[in-house]
Amino acid sequence: MTPQKTMWRKALVATAILLFVGFGAIIINLVRWQLVRGEELKSVALEQSLQSTQLTAMRGTIYDATGKVLAQSASVWTVILEPYSLHKDGTRATVAKGLAEILDMEEDYIYERASNKDSYYAVLKRRVESSVRDEIDAFMKDNKIQRGVYMIDDFKRYYPYGSVASTILGFTGDENTGLYGLEAQYDNELRGTAGRLINSKNPIGGDMPFQYEQFIDAQHGYNLILTIDETVQSVTEKALERGIERYRVENGAVGILVDVKTGAIIAMACKDDFDPNAPFDIYDEEEQARIDALPEAEQDEAYTAALNNQWRNKAISDVYYPGSVFKMVTGSMGLEEGIVNENTPFNCTGAYIYYKDEDPIHCWLRTGHGTQTFAQGLLNSCNPYFMYIGQQLGAQRFFKYFEGFGFAERTGIDLPDESASIYYDAESLGPADIATHSMGQNFGITPIQMITGICAVANGGYLIQPHIVNRIVDSDGNIVKTTDTSFKRQVISEDTSQRISNILQMNTEIGVGTATKGYVAGYRICGKTGTSEKVDKYNNELAVLAEGEDKPVMQYIASYGGYAPAEDPQYALLVFFDEPQKEENGGLNGGDAVAGPIFADIMAEVLPYLGVKSQYSEEEYENLDATTPSVMGMMIKDAKIVLEEAGLYYEIVGVTDNDNEVVAFQVPSVGDFIPNDGKVVLYTQGAENDAMGVVPDIRGYSVEEARNVLEEAGFQLRLQHGRVSESAIANQDIEPGTIERRGTVITISFADNTITETFQFSDGSEGSESPEGDDSLDE
Amino acid sequence: MNYSKDRSLKKVPKSEAEFDEQEISKDGKRKKKIRFKAFSRGLGIDMPLLFLTLIILSIGLVTLFSASYAKSYYDYGDSLQIILSQVRFAAIGLTVMLLLTFFDYHQYHHLAIIIYIISVILLLLVPIMSYEAFMDGEPVRWLTIFGIQFQPSEIAKFALILMFAHMISKRPTTMHTFRHGFLPFMIVFGLLAGLVIIEKHVSATAILSFIAILMMFIGGTRMRFFIPFIILVAVVLAFILLFSDRFGYALERIVAWLDPLNVQGGDTNTHQIKQSIYTLASGQLLGVGLGQSRQKYGWLPESQNDFIFAIFCEEMGFIGVIILIILFALLIWRGVYVAIHAKDKFGMMLGLGIIFQIGIQIILNLGVVTSTIPVTGISLPFFSSGGTSMTMLLAEMGILLQISRGSNINKA
Repeated sequence: MTPQKTMWRKALVATAILLFVGFGAIIINLVRWQLVRGEELKSVALEQSLQSTQLTAMRGTIYDATGKVLAQSASVWTVILEPYSLHKDGTRATVAKGLAEILDMEEDYIYERASNKDSYYAVLKRRVESSVRDEIDAFMKDNKIQRGVYMIDDFKRYYPYGSVASTILGFTGDENTGLYGLEAQYDNELRGTAGRLINSKNPIGGDMPFQYEQFIDAQHGYNLILTIDETVQSVTEKALERGIERYRVENGAVGILVDVKTGAIIAMACKDDFDPNAPFDIYDEEEQARIDALPEAEQDEAYTAALNNQWRNKAISDVYYPGSVFKMVTGSMGLEEGIVNENTPFNCTGAYIYYKDEDPIHCWLRTGHGTQTFAQGLLNSCNPYFMYIGQQLGAQRFFKYFEGFGFAERTGIDLPDESASIYYDAESLGPADIATHSMGQNFGITPIQMITGICAVANGGYLIQPHIVNRIVDSDGNIVKTTDTSFKRQVISEDTSQRISNILQMNTEIGVGTATKGYVAGYRICGKTGTSEKVDKYNNELAVLAEGEDKPVMQYIASYGGYAPAEDPQYALLVFFDEPQKEENGGLNGGDAVAGPIFADIMAEVLPYLGVKSQYSEEEYENLDATTPSVMGMMIKDAKIVLEEAGLYYEIVGVTDNDNEVVAFQVPSVGDFIPNDGKVVLYTQGAENDAMGVVPDIRGYSVEEARNVLEEAGFQLRLQHGRVSESAIANQDIEPGTIERRGTVITISFADNTITETFQFSDGSEGSESPEGDDSLDE
Repeated sequence: MNYSKDRSLKKVPKSEAEFDEQEISKDGKRKKKIRFKAFSRGLGIDMPLLFLTLIILSIGLVTLFSASYAKSYYDYGDSLQIILSQVRFAAIGLTVMLLLTFFDYHQYHHLAIIIYIISVILLLLVPIMSYEAFMDGEPVRWLTIFGIQFQPSEIAKFALILMFAHMISKRPTTMHTFRHGFLPFMIVFGLLAGLVIIEKHVSATAILSFIAILMMFIGGTRMRFFIPFIILVAVVLAFILLFSDRFGYALERIVAWLDPLNVQGGDTNTHQIKQSIYTLASGQLLGVGLGQSRQKYGWLPESQNDFIFAIFCEEMGFIGVIILIILFALLIWRGVYVAIHAKDKFGMMLGLGIIFQIGIQIILNLGVVTSTIPVTGISLPFFSSGGTSMTMLLAEMGILLQISRGSNINKA
């Protein structure tokens, strides 16, 4: 072969290798990347260049039944740093300094947050108000900073009514998530769907050409319209607070007001509660002070416990012994099954042997009620009578109704964390269990179960579905879902319901029943008291009792369940106070004494508001209150006309001889209760403090005596809920010794018979022994 | 075939004796003296090669326009900055190319050593001019002389080709010996390669090595001389890659090459290859369309330069890429064809050196972009932005075309 041929050959071989091996390998790889994995890698590539900015959806608003806003989201901003740009532009220090001032943060911290120079995203601060955003914008402009800091939309949750309904509403955490209460229960509905702003972003930080931009609007969350009425809720909460204060209640209180026909919860108040605007603050200042006083090591635990306590909705999460309130249920069973009728006689000897030769269980009235009819037995809250009914029913029938009334299942209310009840089922109900169950003892149900049962007793035997949300609407107001208000089943007949209502109505009548504190003038109230012993707690404390220590004090739950009006029940209310301290409040721990007045307070304010027609008896009408009209700022002569028209008297303090003087101050104040024949004291300019007097102590006086004493001192007397009693005055709303202006109205209430209808065992220890150990309780 | 019109060169190289005309001087029986002639008109230039060059250049410019559009805007605030500059250099390059087709390539015999020495000096200047960066272990590749910034390694490649062509053609009978056919070549090559590698310019070193081996192989050097050398280089290379801080990045790149899509963190180069694959894969079969690349908006680093091919893949798809590769292959093939038909050994070796340089650069660049080989900085001839490179390439094509004038190809 010639040298030339050799070279040709070599050149061709080299070229061939170069082309075939080189391009061959390249083409193989191209096939691999472009054809085989093209689709997959393309989407990865797209994803990285498509920056998707999340557009937070506006969380739905929660309205009360009257359209008041209970929870609402408002626009705020999240401040985000783009460290890459800050590094590139060398603006990190400037920005850190400027933002530290505006956001009230540590400069070093901001500097640190922007330390990763390859990062494009570092959240600096969430939930910044729009005004702060404007400040940041201005700062950026002033310092000619084009990029590196930006703000994205976010929302903050506001609860305009503060702690009102807080245990129902719950609260939200970061990222728009409902954590407790309705916010958690309806999180999916409220949350909405986050939108996305998809735009192509180059890694240098700029937007890519517009054609790659896509905007998916955020779907705002649905709004909830509750059955709760803020006014009723507030009234109930305030009443509970008063009760806790007045009766020295240790462990909180619950008040639930329900529409007996629909199961709509009008108010569900719990104490303790919290402010959902700041859920992680201990709302109760005393509790906070107590935690602060603890040793450092125990503070965290105490803090967590206190938080859980204030967040917990006791109305659905706590089980309690319903006590004698339950007798209206047992009574209904007896009537329904024909075991008793209103007039069935029974002799109460003060104790009842429920089974063969077991030790008897005592009546709360040790001396016994003697021979009484069923109606009287219910009015007396006679324990033996109900043990008798339970015994006659037997386990099977008792449990059938127990189950029927919904005590064996969760009510399914649309709130999270509803507890299951604790009870004996038909198979395990022994004679002692039936006896105690019949009196509402020795089984645990939630307050919501109890009031559901009360509703069934009231409304003709229909077991309603308690619910909080009336309807769900979208952001345009279209109804998405309306709550079904149909009942679950009929437990007792309408006839039985009517008959038990007739008896319970008498129960609030003075001199007749044991639930008289729940009486409200103008309304026929059906009521039943309950005083349940916290036997388990007592036993537990007893068990760990050290030598030489005092025996523990039995704690009580004082409850009052009732409904109105008797002729056509519309609203049921259950109030309970957990552990009133009778040593501190003057010996009050019974359902009537503690829960009764609060029940009446709530009903008296709420029933007229809810449009329940009042019907006054003659006596009631006489004692009716009026509302003080406004005469402040009027001339005396005009004020006189106004007051005369209102049927009120007047008295002038200061300049008395000039009808053209202006009323500078009036007592009572506008809107305050005043007896309907009361007088308004008009103070002229400069005389506001001329007629002060010391409030006398009228406790223990009769009404007439008190009226005289008060008049003497320049004050006026008012009967709470217009109710007169033969007995002595127990309470006055303004403490004796207080200095008040002339004309001030002092409201009084009576002690009556402060019955504590607990049950007692034969050994005399007041309910201190449970017939069965609690560990055998079935759930 | 019709060669008879060539008047300046009376005989078309056809026989072995004529082909090795340089041998004549060695024998002392000089049949013919090559006179200096500034311009050789001779026969026409090879049209297929010219057209292939122009077609590929046009495609390259269009692709660069698209690929640099965003980058140019971000960097200069003017989308046209990069492409206009490139077009200017292409115009200069084409002018140079056309001029060189008239410049008798035999004159390069005289220029070989001069260009070689200039090239060595320029390479030496690089670390001296950028002394601090060089001592810090950073790559130093650029030199600015009279306001023109260029890579001396580009010139070194041409210097090597020219020198080797010159040397091979001067050693018609002794190429097979170690003393004449290997050692001098290795010294010439070693000096250049050594100077390039201390600039940390691995890719240029690789190209120089490929050119050297190919030219020596074709020139007649015995391959077995390479064996100990290759082993030595392999050992040194492995040692450097694994243990040297100065070249430590190479290892990382090899890891990235083995699993390009799962590069965690990594430096810019390993990030590049991942983005490169995303980019070309996005093209799939038909491409996203001319000018429609998304990756060019800053995602793919060096989209206007070393990774411009990925943008082409993204925009034109697999089918477009195959067409381009066929064009490249045709260009290389035609270049080789023209070279081997040169009328003398010098022309052949010069032509082969030039076309192999271009071919190797194309293949290495495509190899990097497709992750066929580990990342190294190689620009794509006729595509990547870069004025000196473009001018240099077109000038080399001019030389190749000049060689075609005297070749015995039918140029209809």
